[in-house]
Amino acid sequence: MSSGSQLATERIRRTAEAAKGSSGWYAAWILFRREIKRFMVILGQSVVSPVITTMLYFLVFGFSLGSRLDEMGGVSYMDFLTPGLMMMSLINNSFINSAFSFFLTKVHGSVVDVLVSPLSNLQIMVAYTAASLVRGLMTSVIIWGIAAAFGANTLYDPLLTIVFMVVVSCAFSLFGLATAVVSKEFEHVNLVPNFVVVPFTFLGGVFYSISLLPEMWQTVALFNPFLYMVNGIRYGMTGVGDVGIVSCFLVSGVFFLLSAGLALTLLKSGKNLRN
Amino acid sequence: MSICLGQIEIGRGVKSDLASILHGERWEALVWSMTEKGGCSALSLRGVSKRYGKLTALDTVDLQVKPGEIFALLGPNGAGKTTAIGCASGLIQDFEGQIEIGGYDVRKDYRVTRRLVGLVPQELNFDGFFGAREALFFQSGYYGVKPDRAKIEGMLRKFSLYDKADTNTRRLSGGMKRRLMVCKALMHDPAVLFLDEPTAGVDVELREDLWKVVRGLRDEGVTIVLTTHYLEEAEQLADRIGIINGGKILRVQPREELMLELGKRWVELSFASDVDRSVFAELRADRIEQLNGRVLRIEYDPGGAISQEEHAVGAILDRARACGLVVVDIRAGRSSLEDIFKDLLRDKGGVV
Repeated sequence: MSSGSQLATERIRRTAEAAKGSSGWYAAWILFRREIKRFMVILGQSVVSPVITTMLYFLVFGFSLGSRLDEMGGVSYMDFLTPGLMMMSLINNSFINSAFSFFLTKVHGSVVDVLVSPLSNLQIMVAYTAASLVRGLMTSVIIWGIAAAFGANTLYDPLLTIVFMVVVSCAFSLFGLATAVVSKEFEHVNLVPNFVVVPFTFLGGVFYSISLLPEMWQTVALFNPFLYMVNGIRYGMTGVGDVGIVSCFLVSGVFFLLSAGLALTLLKSGKNLRN
Repeated sequence: MSICLGQIEIGRGVKSDLASILHGERWEALVWSMTEKGGCSALSLRGVSKRYGKLTALDTVDLQVKPGEIFALLGPNGAGKTTAIGCASGLIQDFEGQIEIGGYDVRKDYRVTRRLVGLVPQELNFDGFFGAREALFFQSGYYGVKPDRAKIEGMLRKFSLYDKADTNTRRLSGGMKRRLMVCKALMHDPAVLFLDEPTAGVDVELREDLWKVVRGLRDEGVTIVLTTHYLEEAEQLADRIGIINGGKILRVQPREELMLELGKRWVELSFASDVDRSVFAELRADRIEQLNGRVLRIEYDPGGAISQEEHAVGAILDRARACGLVVVDIRAGRSSLEDIFKDLLRDKGGVV
């Protein structure tokens, strides 16, 4: 065997040994940091813009409408509205962050860098989800801070609130990732926020208690999963809600598990991704 | 892995005997990897097929790449080169057959094989959010290698990306994007480097630079597999060449051997006066073409009727003189890889 061949064989052996000693979670940590940095680079779009949009809702509904309403569901309208808007923002940002970030790497071609790296599908999934969670929490906490500055009193059960927000945010991050994996066009990614998230959160009681609806529509509203997400956070922040907190956790938990399963299955299948 | 468990030493003679007993190219490939003393192939494909619906991109491909060599997979567009690289690098996971890198299965031991491999994809890519410096930082991290700032700066300089290190990679020129892709593939010090059409759409200067880099890496013990449809590239760089078309490997040979076996030799002689066709038989050649009255192009096929000794330029000149011809000028050469390639594909009924 020539010396060149020996050198190369030795290099293969050495590199393989190094690879065996690595679990890959450090790599996932770097991917997570990349994702955080990505939305920080475009902070105006990723955080400032959704916060401003939500502020408009506050102005339109909170002040103009809220001043005419004494209370909603047992609390002041401002207190009632704040958790709803936070949940809407949390869902949207969690979904959009992983969906667009991952889809753009497909468009730019750099997704290949991650796909041929030693990162496992699970590690890719965890990194994207964790980063979207950070963005989701960040925007909703800013909204909470601004609402608090305007006098909203929403600290009924902070721990429960945070746990609930984490579950919902992760669920939508995973759903966003799954959507990005199968999407071929930008339009596909946009379908979910435009035709699912916005209408169903609006109908899920962000602005009103479903007890105001006619009885038949109240029953229909109970089939909208977003109702449970909006009311879960509202219960955590104000202690009131149209549905019980247990059912809120159940619905969100099931959605989380389904999304995680879907995202992992799609990443593994490699459809619209690896071929 | 099974092949590499024992260090089997079998002499070359035994190898060919075994191969002839076992028949079939796949066995030959297997026997080869057993005979190399103490090691596995850097890359080994056994019975690898990949189908996209009705299209067969790879058709039971068997291939062994030895550690430390530069191996060129040469074939026209759509031959299956990129698919082969895709399967080996871990991008495509849904294929039939078995692929090993350094003896590790690319699907079962993917964590090891992907760490071993660096891939420079054919399609230009970029990261629309970061500059080259950040891209390199993250890239080495994806491989579990702690990003080394000093190394990143060194790579940026080496690949002439330093001035644009913080420019969004989207705005880099094609050549710079290509250089960045090579950089990225090297950040984790791979043992095997896959270059998929590295010089497609690249200017001459950058091509020369890339070749220099590739040779330098080989000297550092990196095994290199490159795909190309530029014959010149394979001829300049490769130690061995595999010719692929329609998803099938037509032939794998050391470059010189391929040239020697398939390369036609030719000598162009200019004479002092016009030559009469009656001397052609005396000159002894597989083919003689009279380019004009005084100039003859004399060709020899490898394995043709004329012996190797008689191919020698001296022998040809002697015969010309014996015919009473006065040689005033001489040009000699052999057919390029391009000619060889065309001949090969024609023999196999392929389309170039």
